Amino acid sequence: MTVIEARDVAVHYGGIKAVDGVDLALEAGRICGLLGPNGSGKSTLLAALTRLVPLTRGTLLLDGVEYQNAAPASLARRGVARTFQTVRLLPDLTVAENVRLGADLRRRPPAGIVDDAIERTGLGEVVRARPGELSYGMSRRVEIARALATSPRLLLLDEPTAGMNQAERQEISELLRRLRDEGLTQLLVEHDVQMMIDTCDDLVAMNFGAVVAHGSPSEVVTNPDVQRAYLGKRWRAHA
Amino acid sequence: MIAWYEANVVLIQSMFISLLLALSIQVPFRAGVFSLAGIGSYGVGAYTAAIVTLQLGWPPFAAIGAGMLLAAVIAYLLALVLARLSGLYLGMATIAYSLILSVVVINGGELTGGAQGLFGAVSDLQTGHVVAVAVAAVALLALSERGRLGRWIDTVREDPELAVSVGVPVAAIRQLSFVVGGLLGACAGAMNTLLRTTVTPEEVGFHLVVLALTMIIVGGSRSWAGALIGAVVFTWLPTVLAFVGEWQTLVYGVVVAVAAIFVPTGILGLAQDFVRRLRRPALQGGRS
Repeated sequence: MTVIEARDVAVHYGGIKAVDGVDLALEAGRICGLLGPNGSGKSTLLAALTRLVPLTRGTLLLDGVEYQNAAPASLARRGVARTFQTVRLLPDLTVAENVRLGADLRRRPPAGIVDDAIERTGLGEVVRARPGELSYGMSRRVEIARALATSPRLLLLDEPTAGMNQAERQEISELLRRLRDEGLTQLLVEHDVQMMIDTCDDLVAMNFGAVVAHGSPSEVVTNPDVQRAYLGKRWRAHA
Repeated sequence: MIAWYEANVVLIQSMFISLLLALSIQVPFRAGVFSLAGIGSYGVGAYTAAIVTLQLGWPPFAAIGAGMLLAAVIAYLLALVLARLSGLYLGMATIAYSLILSVVVINGGELTGGAQGLFGAVSDLQTGHVVAVAVAAVALLALSERGRLGRWIDTVREDPELAVSVGVPVAAIRQLSFVVGGLLGACAGAMNTLLRTTVTPEEVGFHLVVLALTMIIVGGSRSWAGALIGAVVFTWLPTVLAFVGEWQTLVYGVVVAVAAIFVPTGILGLAQDFVRRLRRPALQGGRS
């Protein structure tokens, strides 16, 4: 079953075609990875899917219902959560309060959802700290925890492991797969190709605002167009 | 104590009126809305209260309520019209509201008393009423700084895009800040008119913009406490500085400039940083 779908989506800024004619469909309970060089349109596509930028053309569907004219804030209530490319936490709030912001979506959030999000993301020891006291990697975890506290059905993650070391990336990859196994559909933007191969069920490669390949991770990373655009000819998957 | 109160009753009244005036711009500032519409609302409240008292003989709280209602409606319409503006542009547009109001009341004929204003708006409003209203307003605003609503307002100010992504109704919060600012400004203006029994165009002029901004810059804009600090400082500072005579204005300027340059979060921010530094070693100890 398709959870979210983009049909012929374009986002143009004047003469710049940040996203141009993208078709994308996310199947329920799967992790789809979005791969591409800087400036290929990945983050703009995420912004379009979450209604943070207006479409130049195209159609967006959530559970088969068009939403390209919906208010951006309504998407969170319909189960769409996201993290951002840069860390965006409230500096004066503690880690626990930043996570609670996600649960604030509902007047009566599910019991224990904040504690659960904190525990899942390994933030238990820093709940009283403020963002300025955290490492970059820990701040990233707070972003993921805040998104999980909204009880999402669909999670869009924009480079969630940026700034993390290999062990931390492995932990996040395992977390995302656990969430997938529990039924959470995800769209993951990352530059770590090995992590994408290890984590994702499907990959979509973008370049110059358009999709250049779509399929299983092994199909996409061996695609000649993708290798030329992003990976370099000598790159080989370790999987 | 009673003698001190009687000697300073006008200053005490002014302090609480100033507190409400400062809150009228602190509320939108806290939501990241650089609106000075509360100042225009002060004028709307002041004149509405005078008009309904003089012409309709309404009791004081009905007169104050009428001023607040009219100001809230205007503030809501302004919020809709100015929704696309932010920062300095929004500030200028809302200052224009205050300036336009001054022109309207000067040219309002018998209704507003023209350049001379309105006199004889006598009521039984007492200092205690003003204090009670100010305390109630502060209590409600203090509540709004806590819990879910407090976090939503902080998020709208710090990062509207993030706010949208976690389902915060950003536009509604901004509109609410306009309306609450309008209610507070009008309440201050109406009560000031009924305490003094008069209102003139000069009293609702541009100097109120300077006064309200000064209080918020020095006190701090993140909380009601900043407005209170500003109101206390700028009500009693003239008494403290009586010995410098005509140099008072210069001292004001220096105080504001020093606050803006060295303490951008105001006295409140300074105090909060101090408390946070005291707590930090304990927190780090707890985490290790």
